[in-house]
Amino acid sequence: MFSKEKIIIAYTTEKCKSCNLERKRNFKEGDYLFAEGSKCNSCDGAMQIEKIFGEPIEQ
Amino acid sequence: MVDFTNIDLDQLFGFSDDSNPLLMLVWILPIIIFIFYGQRIQLQVTSGEIKKGIKKLDAYRTEARTELIEYIKKNMNPKKDPTKKIDRFLDYFTIMPVDMDPNGIVDKIRHTVRAREDYSRNHVKSISPEINEIELSKIITLLEIATSLHMIYKIINHMYLTAKKQNNYPLILPLQMILPFIMEEAEAITKAIPAFKLGQPVGDGIGPMVVGKMMLDTKKETVAFQTVLSETEYDERKLFLLKAEGPGSTVGRPGDAVDALVAKSKPDIIIMVDAALKMEGEDSAITAQGFGAAIGGIGTERFQIEDIATKNNIPIFAIVIKQSIKDAITLMTKDIANQAENVRSQVYEMIHENTTPGQSVLLIGVGNTIGVPQ
Repeated sequence: MFSKEKIIIAYTTEKCKSCNLERKRNFKEGDYLFAEGSKCNSCDGAMQIEKIFGEPIEQ
Repeated sequence: MVDFTNIDLDQLFGFSDDSNPLLMLVWILPIIIFIFYGQRIQLQVTSGEIKKGIKKLDAYRTEARTELIEYIKKNMNPKKDPTKKIDRFLDYFTIMPVDMDPNGIVDKIRHTVRAREDYSRNHVKSISPEINEIELSKIITLLEIATSLHMIYKIINHMYLTAKKQNNYPLILPLQMILPFIMEEAEAITKAIPAFKLGQPVGDGIGPMVVGKMMLDTKKETVAFQTVLSETEYDERKLFLLKAEGPGSTVGRPGDAVDALVAKSKPDIIIMVDAALKMEGEDSAITAQGFGAAIGGIGTERFQIEDIATKNNIPIFAIVIKQSIKDAITLMTKDIANQAENVRSQVYEMIHENTTPGQSVLLIGVGNTIGVPQ
């Protein structure tokens, strides 16, 4: 009766192919798994979308 | 003057006297009412709850229809208003083949269902012929969602109105029993809409996600409708990797694909990775291993794979990732996504344990491949 409504936020996790650095950001329309992501902040290597998932935040 | 401070209740209601008619009436009247009108009273109480459920179902189907029409208008740029055409689609029905003689019924069901799928695809495409396959697959899925919710509403409403019309309480009982399950499913279906519109992977896509990553950097070929196959090697074993063609929303036709592959090159074992419904009390995203064809749907694909495996004496192993119906058709949860690597290592372990160098393995990633390419 008093349970809070959960809102699901979609996230995208990118992983660098060279140094394995992982970065989590908000999902953008057009993201899909294994697609080329942005450049790695650490080694300037190519990043790949590793996961797309939803996480609940309570309101 | 009456002295209200000195009323003897025992005397008034005759508690000490069993023959008091007022007390008898207090007891007997409700019994008589319940004997003659009990079912009607229960019907009224129950129907109030059911009415609330039906109102929700009506809201779900309206939301699905509106979302679908808006999505088509936004992404397909149709020349004419698609509303009329979509409304006609929503009322389409499928008559399942007669099962008095079950011989050959699987082929008949497959034929009927595929004819419907082909018809829907062609007619949705006719709204905007230049639409790409990925967008088309999303719209087909949104159409299936809207049709399912429309059907659920109509059936539940029919059962409710029939019981009310006949003033028949027993008729409303099965409805009262199944309604919580129906509501859970309808809510899950409605919540699936955003994921399919945005092309996000759903929980059911964990199988394709596991196999899709293994297919990266391999040569892919289309072996059956919306189904791709590639070949790779692992520890001196030949791996055939099979999944529905992503990142569109499709489950492909793995039955036809297995048929085509086995005719060309018989694998020594088949491993199927799929999402499975968890039991109440079980945690979501736990994995389990077993035997047999792990594939859902109406059963025709499973029948086909089992048939081929039996005729060719190929053992089938399965790895399932358990989840609720809601998890399976909505945006993939973090827990499920985190299992992909674990399942991949279980697949390699399974290959090691059940094959020897030089043998071949067919690995099938079963499920909807929305947002999951290869």
